[in-house]
Amino acid sequence: MSAPRRSARPTPRVDEATRGAVVEVDRSDAATSTTRPRRWRFDALPYVLVAPVAIFIVGLALVPAAFTIIESFFTVDALDPPTRFTGLGNFVALFHNEAVRNSVGNTAFYVLVGVALSTVLGIGMAVLLQHPFRGRGVVIAILILPWALPGVVEGILWSGIFDPNSGLINGLVATLHLGAGNGVLLGQNHLLTLALIELVQVWQMTPLSTLLIFAALQLIPGEIYEAAVVDGANQWRSFMSITLPLARPGIAVAMVQALIATLNIFDQPYVLNGAASTGSSVTMETYFVSFQNLNFGQGYALSLVVALVTVALSLVVVRFVYRKVEL
Amino acid sequence: MKRKHPRVTRHGAAGLAGLTAIALLAAGCSAGGGGATASGSSSGTAGVTITVALPTDPPPAADLDAFTKQTGIKVTWASSDWDSLQTKISAAATANTYFADVTNVDWSRVGQLGKLGWFQPLEKYLDANALKADMPQLGSFTLGGHIVGVPYDSSYMVTTVNTDLFTKAGITTMPTTIDEYTNDLKQIKSKGVVEYPLNIPFAAAEGLSTYWYETTNAFGGTVLDASGKPQFTDPGSPGYKAAQWMVDAIKNGLVPPGNINVNDAQGEQTLMAQGMAASTFSDYSGLINSLYNVTDSSKVTGKIQYLPTPGVTGPAGNLSNPDGMGIPTQAKNPAAAAKFIEWFNSASTQEDFAGLNGQDKVWGSSFIPSRLSVVEKLSQAGSLADGAHLAAMLKTASPVFPQGAPTWYPTFSNAVYTNLHAAATGSMSVADAISAIAAVAKQQASNG
Repeated sequence: MSAPRRSARPTPRVDEATRGAVVEVDRSDAATSTTRPRRWRFDALPYVLVAPVAIFIVGLALVPAAFTIIESFFTVDALDPPTRFTGLGNFVALFHNEAVRNSVGNTAFYVLVGVALSTVLGIGMAVLLQHPFRGRGVVIAILILPWALPGVVEGILWSGIFDPNSGLINGLVATLHLGAGNGVLLGQNHLLTLALIELVQVWQMTPLSTLLIFAALQLIPGEIYEAAVVDGANQWRSFMSITLPLARPGIAVAMVQALIATLNIFDQPYVLNGAASTGSSVTMETYFVSFQNLNFGQGYALSLVVALVTVALSLVVVRFVYRKVEL
Repeated sequence: MKRKHPRVTRHGAAGLAGLTAIALLAAGCSAGGGGATASGSSSGTAGVTITVALPTDPPPAADLDAFTKQTGIKVTWASSDWDSLQTKISAAATANTYFADVTNVDWSRVGQLGKLGWFQPLEKYLDANALKADMPQLGSFTLGGHIVGVPYDSSYMVTTVNTDLFTKAGITTMPTTIDEYTNDLKQIKSKGVVEYPLNIPFAAAEGLSTYWYETTNAFGGTVLDASGKPQFTDPGSPGYKAAQWMVDAIKNGLVPPGNINVNDAQGEQTLMAQGMAASTFSDYSGLINSLYNVTDSSKVTGKIQYLPTPGVTGPAGNLSNPDGMGIPTQAKNPAAAAKFIEWFNSASTQEDFAGLNGQDKVWGSSFIPSRLSVVEKLSQAGSLADGAHLAAMLKTASPVFPQGAPTWYPTFSNAVYTNLHAAATGSMSVADAISAIAAVAKQQASNG
């Protein structure tokens, strides 16, 4: 085996993080070099290359975000001009709005049940898919279909399934003589309504959770399981001591995406249950406040609250679930 | 010959990136200056292309081609569902940017839109008196003397009955009062003709509010006075009685229990059109033609009839529920847009849409023309099911809010349908629902 060839000239080592600003010279080589260190020269190319994306992100994400934060402290009501500073007025008004308070409770239910259920189901399905089998690709392709459907389409599809007069579920309930005569009615019972709506969202979210966790599982070397078997570990012990700990990065990402989806749930309750208080979510109320009542200041405030809660809960998930895994 | 691969040089990449950045910045700047579009709007019409955004499919190409030939104005049609279209209208108007030259004006938003000045007054462009004479529902789009929109259909609330089911129950004379109507429904149920004879869409959606307004009208009253004060808080008031009658209907088994989550369209399609309900008290005009007599989607072809709305002592009036079109303030080509509205709502075009002049110009989304003269013509030609009834009812169809819908109507309607829905589910009493609706109306009216 031949030794790597070494350049006669000192090799500049570029600090990637500060490329264009600093060029360091390998000092061990510099000691034997007769060449002078290269002169610092500003290189604009990286900045120019990054500029379009940076402008795009600043323009479409940061500027609207900053605008939302600022305007949430102003009365911005198309029917009550002019725009004026109101301090925490919008937040206080929202706190006193019964429909908003009710939607917060509903959304908390969606988050708790949705994140827990989609994560557990995602882990279960990912484990089932972990080992190759004939037709696994087809199964994965079919699995992803619910996730690929728009929320409104799903809402319409499930409203047909839940239809009290001609839907599949009530047809089954009637055929099997289950229920108390009226069948399963969305809107009749608060908890049942929330559960049925969230069931539809879990049906939609679980494929993505499965894929994220499945991707993490694919990185676990088979040798670790083989060693565990040699050490006498059964399947449950392997799952608890190998699969779950090593899949934590994937599980954390899956939980965060489920958290974001459930906190922002709109299509499913709106299509399945209309504006009824039994299922309304915070984002539905944001829509009503902003685009129905045209009170954009309160809409901004509610959006800001949702964004802050999303960030805070995501950080909690990352703090307690995520672990860096090096294999 | 050796093929030369294209090569992106360092300078080339930098230039491309720089150009993209400049383009993005320029786009951002021009978007911010969208407010200038109004002042930059065009008064010329020939050769202009206008965007028409409505919650319906476009008319056949033959119709639009005829308009282009006549005026030199080209039309780009943008269909969108009703809800998202309202959001787009609000978002564009708030941001002071161009969105379309012609778009939807719903009767329920006339108060908001009129106050906000988001639409141009159409009397500037159109002959208001000529329109008024032939369009009974123009009043629903008029606020403070300004015409905010022109109705392109004449939807109004009507009672529909399945005559076959009424006959099976031994009812040969149709009811004219609400008491007779209620008794007939009970008779249909007790004779086992259908289990649930009445369709009321109790889902928390706009259709429930509209149903209550029409029922209140049948009981001889209105929901709000000219200043927006609620007229339904007294248990003896028509609005209160209407709410009680509707909730009693579901509690007493006249309405299917599942209707707590059935909206207006679902009720029409899965109950009335399937022969599972004998009547809808507040249905939409034109549905016999567009749904109940369509064999592909209906099992009750030829069996549904319009009924003059049963009132307290005899037939009551009907409330308007029309869709209109108007010109947003930020329209780029308001003059051309006005020509389009004038053409679209002219008697001859409405006759084309309705099929009086051949099938190639029939517009499927046209239910009942907004011009009385065209409705009468259709009725005489026999091409409008139960046309005589419809034409008679159109003459007396009145706006839900004769003084114009209040600016806070969407908030009020939300309170109406969420609370009446809750009363229907049994989670709140009618008295509590009425109190909650009244509280919203009082608060909004006091805010102005």
